[in-house]
Amino acid sequence: MRHPRKILAALLLTLAGLAGLAAAQAPPPGPGAPPPPRPRVFVDWPGGDVELLRKEIPFVELVPELAGAQVHVVVSPQGPPGSGKFGLIFTGLGEFQGDDNALTFTPEPGAGPEDVRRGLAGRIKLGLLRYAAKTPVSRDLTVRFLDEAKPTAVNDPWNSWIFSLSGNAFLMGETQYRSGSYFASFSANRVRPELKVQTSVYYNQNDTWFDFGDGTTYDSTTHGFGASGLVVKSLGEHWSAGGYAEAESSTFANLDLGFTVAPAVEFNVYPYSEHTKKQLRFLYRLGFTHARYIEETIYFKTSENLLQEALTCAYEVVRPWGNATIRLEGSHYFHDFSKNRIELETELEIRIWRGLSFEVDAGYAQIHDQLSLPAGGASYEEILLRQTQLATGYDYSLSVGFNFSFGSTRSNVVNPRFGNGGRSISIGM
Amino acid sequence: MRKTLNVLVALALGLASFAAAQTPPAPQGQAGVDELKKAAVRVFLDCDFCDTEYIKTEITFVNYVRDRLEAQVHILITTQATGGGGVEYTITFIGQNDFKDAKDLQKYYSSKTDTDDDVRRGLVKALKLGLMGFVARTPIAGRIAVDYTPPNRAAEGRDRWNSWLFSLSGQGRFSGEESYAERMIDLSVSANRVTEASKVRLGLSAERATQEFELEDGPITGTTESWNASGLYVWSLGEHWSAGASAEVEASTYSNTDLAASIAPAIEYNFFPYSQSTRRQLRALYTLSLKAVRYVEETIYGKTEETLLEEELSLTLDLREKFGTVSLSAEGSNYLHDFSKYRIDLFSILNLRLYKGFSVYCFGGYSWVHDQLSLIAREPTYEEILLRLRELPMVDNYFVAVGFQFQFGSIFTNVINPRFGTSGSGGMRINIH
Repeated sequence: MRHPRKILAALLLTLAGLAGLAAAQAPPPGPGAPPPPRPRVFVDWPGGDVELLRKEIPFVELVPELAGAQVHVVVSPQGPPGSGKFGLIFTGLGEFQGDDNALTFTPEPGAGPEDVRRGLAGRIKLGLLRYAAKTPVSRDLTVRFLDEAKPTAVNDPWNSWIFSLSGNAFLMGETQYRSGSYFASFSANRVRPELKVQTSVYYNQNDTWFDFGDGTTYDSTTHGFGASGLVVKSLGEHWSAGGYAEAESSTFANLDLGFTVAPAVEFNVYPYSEHTKKQLRFLYRLGFTHARYIEETIYFKTSENLLQEALTCAYEVVRPWGNATIRLEGSHYFHDFSKNRIELETELEIRIWRGLSFEVDAGYAQIHDQLSLPAGGASYEEILLRQTQLATGYDYSLSVGFNFSFGSTRSNVVNPRFGNGGRSISIGM
Repeated sequence: MRKTLNVLVALALGLASFAAAQTPPAPQGQAGVDELKKAAVRVFLDCDFCDTEYIKTEITFVNYVRDRLEAQVHILITTQATGGGGVEYTITFIGQNDFKDAKDLQKYYSSKTDTDDDVRRGLVKALKLGLMGFVARTPIAGRIAVDYTPPNRAAEGRDRWNSWLFSLSGQGRFSGEESYAERMIDLSVSANRVTEASKVRLGLSAERATQEFELEDGPITGTTESWNASGLYVWSLGEHWSAGASAEVEASTYSNTDLAASIAPAIEYNFFPYSQSTRRQLRALYTLSLKAVRYVEETIYGKTEETLLEEELSLTLDLREKFGTVSLSAEGSNYLHDFSKYRIDLFSILNLRLYKGFSVYCFGGYSWVHDQLSLIAREPTYEEILLRLRELPMVDNYFVAVGFQFQFGSIFTNVINPRFGTSGSGGMRINIH
């Protein structure tokens, strides 16, 4: 017991020491040093317009002869005479040895000699980018697509429908303990910019077995199954409307069978097209549920019809300084407004200063709507193994973490000897 | 020097205006662009941990497909940790079908201090540059612009820290409801120096976890604590051999260890060259360790402390290929004072794309355990068993996860639709990092 405390004190002392060291961190190199060199390219294009190339491809250094070049480009007419087709052969030399590519260029019918030269220079430029990308010059290059193409501009006989069937089993055990989880699902989805359709059916089961070593054992099974569907119609850059339909059965939730239909509407303060950078969404949902319980509930019901409304507000942002997600959700039943729930979830990952970053993951829920709690309560084992929901007025979770690193943080050396951290796996459904 | 710079800047400005003037409108309007897009490169992005939504919204001049066999370019991204605490992304472009003759390999390095946004922007840039060699083979190439801003910065300076990287991290996790609460705290500090020639890792970490249940006949509390200090030095001996030594001091209530100290020389042979390690490794590692241990409670063998000599051999195979991931390891160890005290651990990760749309995975581990020297002599309590606070006697343990996925229908996955959130999109995601 006393060791951890000692270690803690040692860690804190080290932290103070490290902070002092960090203040002495090296300043960035000053100006005046030569800029990084550009890749040296020899273009073998009889009758070619070297001046045009020099203008069009400023990120390479065009050299007059093969000696000393890192890339050799040969441009020559290809195919039957008069086809106008050109072949472009790229050969890597020296450090680019083995880095080769072959392109062709066919001018548009009726293109003038100027257009042909310009088109060829454009292809040579694109072909040289893979070499430039391997040198420090890559930091100063930007590639842009001049148009906006529809993601649906494809030849697709399935009309965007994707079907997916999956089955999974997770088993573990030792001499006195065994558990198994099984999950199977089938889904059919069609995601288009103007309409999103997602449907699935699933089944899951969990088995647990304990041997207490004195001849007694304990085993239990929980299972659930259901189906869900979601349809969302896009209404411009800020609005969407749709609906959910769900059927569910779960021994954990004391639910023999529940059906829900819920129309919903969403407003995004920012345009949806910026969603990978930021979104602030308000989702309103009105749900009608018919529920049949396995055991009589603490409210003496074996089945009931419920009407519930829910409002969710979600803010998500991913920026150079870090990312943040904040989600606030409130809901209540109409037959009794005191049966309500408020949930708050936040995730923050922030770089405060160079090597110092913070992570906070927090959740809080105020729960006054556990309508399905069984009247019979839960057994000692069900409580300890968390196999059934328990009566509670709230639940919370908080995770805070920080990381402070300094020193050679720009070192790109990879040394795989004696293992390099191993692999991690995660499986999501 | 300044003169050259000025000339370069002037040239760049000139070029920029030149480029603006030269940007021609799409040849046949939007319909023309859509036709170009239909013939664009078909890409299979083989990267579980990438922000694929971001990549697909930033790179729109290719078509994304969900199955590798449909693609003209299979982009395989593998990662390895760098000495600076960042990640080396190796981006392998593998040409397929009518692009069979083309291939490329690009690298992108993230730094430990980069945020998710820095990393995804860096990866997108490396992907764009690497893709150009393939995009240049399709008509959409005419609609790509390349901007170059000549640098007014200097080349990288030298490293004053001599490759040392220091890191301190801590985490606290708390959760609960009216009748249940869980708390976990861990702290760690490390100093590492990784170069081609050698590797030094020094670390200290401590952890404490508590569970509390409110029951009718009073509360139940379970706590586990552990801490650990370790050091490792590895010398590089050519493309296949390495030698090293580690030292460790630790304590753990779960394993009944009041204090244990060990030193262990080791040697490793890699059947593949180390330079291919991001794609292929087959390593054999032999370790001989001398360990002095003092127990919290008397063990089932009647000991309160002892000194042990143990040997261990492990074999690890890691492959990352177009068809998937194969990772197998086997580890065997025994004590030299009594050869019947041994354990064998087997571990496998297989994630294989077997056929169009069909993939299977199998993760599993099996251990034969005959070396539980630290087990407590008394019977553990009912709560210690249910809350898993104590190591329990066992002869073997296992875990297996198996599954399959079969997909059919549209091969394209270009569309990103974030409305009503993107969760619960069906199917399964396996993330092997």
